[in-house]
Amino acid sequence: MTTADPYRERIVHPPIRFLHRLNPLAKIGATLPAMGLLVFTRDVATPLIFLLVAILLLVVGAHLPWRLWLAVAIGIPLLISVMSFSFALWTDPAQVDRSVTLFSVGDYRLYLGSIALGLATALRLVSLIALGLLAGTTSTGPDLVRAMVQQLRVPYRIGYTALAAYRFVPRFGHELQVIRSAHRVRGMAGGRGPLAGARRYLGYVIPLLAGAIRHAERVALAMDSRAFGAHPNRTERHLVPFRVRDGVFLILFWATTAAIIILRETNPL
Amino acid sequence: MTPAPLEVHGLRIRHDDRDAWTPDRVSFTLREGEVVLLLGPSGSGKSTLALALNGLIPHAVPATLEGTVLVAGLSTTGATVARLSESVAMVFQDPDSQIVTGTVMDEVCFGTENLLASVDDVLERAERALRQVGLWERRGENPDRLSGGGRQRLAIACALALGSPLIVLDEPTANLDPAGIEEVYAVLRELVAEGGHTVVLVEHNLDAAIDLVDRALVIDRDGTLAFDGPVRDVLLDNVDALLTMGVWLPVSTLAALRLRAAGVPIPELPLTPTELARALDAVAVMEPARPAMDPVETGASLDERPAITVQNLSVKRGRSTLLNNVSLEVPRGEFLAIVGVNGAGKTTLLQAIAGVVAPPRGTVDVGGLDPATADVRALAASIGFVFQNPEHQFIRMTVAEELAHGLEIARLEREEIDARVEAMLDRFGLRAERDVHPFLLSGGQKRRLSVGTALIAGAPVLALDEPTFGQDRERAAALLDLLAQLNAEGTTVLVVTHDMQLVADYASSVAILSDGELLSHRPTAEALAGDALAAAGLRPPPLAQAMRLLRNHPGWRSISRLADLP
Repeated sequence: MTTADPYRERIVHPPIRFLHRLNPLAKIGATLPAMGLLVFTRDVATPLIFLLVAILLLVVGAHLPWRLWLAVAIGIPLLISVMSFSFALWTDPAQVDRSVTLFSVGDYRLYLGSIALGLATALRLVSLIALGLLAGTTSTGPDLVRAMVQQLRVPYRIGYTALAAYRFVPRFGHELQVIRSAHRVRGMAGGRGPLAGARRYLGYVIPLLAGAIRHAERVALAMDSRAFGAHPNRTERHLVPFRVRDGVFLILFWATTAAIIILRETNPL
Repeated sequence: MTPAPLEVHGLRIRHDDRDAWTPDRVSFTLREGEVVLLLGPSGSGKSTLALALNGLIPHAVPATLEGTVLVAGLSTTGATVARLSESVAMVFQDPDSQIVTGTVMDEVCFGTENLLASVDDVLERAERALRQVGLWERRGENPDRLSGGGRQRLAIACALALGSPLIVLDEPTANLDPAGIEEVYAVLRELVAEGGHTVVLVEHNLDAAIDLVDRALVIDRDGTLAFDGPVRDVLLDNVDALLTMGVWLPVSTLAALRLRAAGVPIPELPLTPTELARALDAVAVMEPARPAMDPVETGASLDERPAITVQNLSVKRGRSTLLNNVSLEVPRGEFLAIVGVNGAGKTTLLQAIAGVVAPPRGTVDVGGLDPATADVRALAASIGFVFQNPEHQFIRMTVAEELAHGLEIARLEREEIDARVEAMLDRFGLRAERDVHPFLLSGGQKRRLSVGTALIAGAPVLALDEPTFGQDRERAAALLDLLAQLNAEGTTVLVVTHDMQLVADYASSVAILSDGELLSHRPTAEALAGDALAAAGLRPPPLAQAMRLLRNHPGWRSISRLADLP
């Protein structure tokens, strides 16, 4: 499987796929209040509504590879059911409605109330993930950095250095793999259990760090040589503007969030 | 009058963690359009000098600098590296560590964007630079998808886009395979032919660079400027001094020197394969060459079982086939070189043989052992593996412990372990470093230690993955001499390598891989003369190239080794 290339050339999406055409900051800013509020909800309906809103927006406004759709279609129901059940097992029965007992094993009883609480917790987590997907699947790292530099006035020296460092990740992954096999053939596999495992990983750290520092130094020299940091700002070929549509999306999403919360407050189930 | 592109006066540099000044009081001036080769043995300060030419020393690297470097009349100590980048551009050795952004296009624009050029200007310069190195069509791609040669061409494009009249290249091909080296030199040749750029090239691969440069500067071991002049005069008038200094000469020159000593009249020493062929064709009668089929003398004894047997080995990773049905027999005492272009499956084969990545059961036999099922101790006693980067395999805190490790896991007696460790320390010249942390050794010492640890458990087979990658000729030769010595004492040696002249001079047989298939496994001379080499996308070593050009001496055409010359 080829992993998505975060650096590939930008594809121009048709207007209906509006999520891709929005400023990454608008998408993150729009969902932040909802995410903050979700943390404090305790019911089933509020996170469910936000989950449905997020999925609806993704279906209409995002053009995603079919693998990701598959993950969403299978993963979300699966995650909800597994988590509801596990959380239900963990909850303290004293805290829940014990009017309906689902089944009992010895002294243990599973109540419908526990399942309801588990479901609420699971939905809360899954709706947070779904809201995160709105920005996460439709923006690229470089665009987010550009938007942060252009709108939030984050110094470009920090933003672009972070982008350069992002390139290190696959390199270190490969290097770690080589180090592991090297240590294995030298007989460092010795022993099982967490202690031996920890010692083994400690052994990988030194060569990995030595390589990383050397690599970082070289990259820094290469960036210096190409005038990085010469001026307080740099030419930007890709503008990531904050347009009217970004403002409209932001306000509409905030308004929807407020409406859902008010509706839920005034109509308790 | 416009100032010279580069003026260096009395330059001496000392790194903060070292005592010696290298380079030491070096002075020279470059004229516009000159192409200069900077030569010197390892430790002479070539790369340090290169780093001083755009102000990285003293601005970014902790070192003390005396004397002056003027780039287009601007003193490097007074100007920032960023300001200097408008007058001097750098290309470094490692293509991976000079890529910052995510697409070829962004990469080329990176420098000019930093200099606040207008968007139109940025794009125009990027297009011109990319077209010049032949990467314009691939501008939207992630640089990771380019080959090593491609990425290095991209680095050159980035230097060109900056528009600096002076370009400094520090060992630009040391990390590349032969195809990559050719790509990079094709681009440089065009660049030089076009004119307009002054080029400083630090390079030890003289065979690739020689027809490109006008002038050579040689720095000796103490860091002082030993020779400065037209490249032909510098190299050919000072042959003995250069060889003593540890500077490598082009293989064609070395071959001619050897032939001269054997009485072949060669009035003018050649620098390139073409010149050598012409010089030899001019000689009327030459003694017939020794039969090129003579195997290199090794510790091989044919009556024993083979050291390694590989039978129908296939290795798949995901959906791609890395090795397809490879069968191979390596007799004891052989020095086998495994060659092929990048991605041909060389390292995969070596790792499967040594059990670094377990092969399918029953496909590999190393001295009666199946690496697929053998435990680490038994495997370490039958085959030692040396990784490309020795640091990856160091696991202990001192050199002595590192050597003892393999014996300790084999649960040998303490006295036996100590005796063997002491013997190894002497054998590999590491006695003074006994209690040093392996990571603090020099590059050459690290390499020797990794060979020592691979051998200490008594393994009769030694497998090395690109042991000369990224090293200069001197260090490479020191390692190869060590391997040849071990081989003469009976150790079977397997190396994966890109360096074809090294293959020609040291290996007794060659396995050529292409796309995961074994194309041929034959004695070196036959392999280098055969068609499989070209079929695998490889080039014959420089000496073989020269000999193939011979018209008057058909008997010499198949020679590829210096040792085969009279």
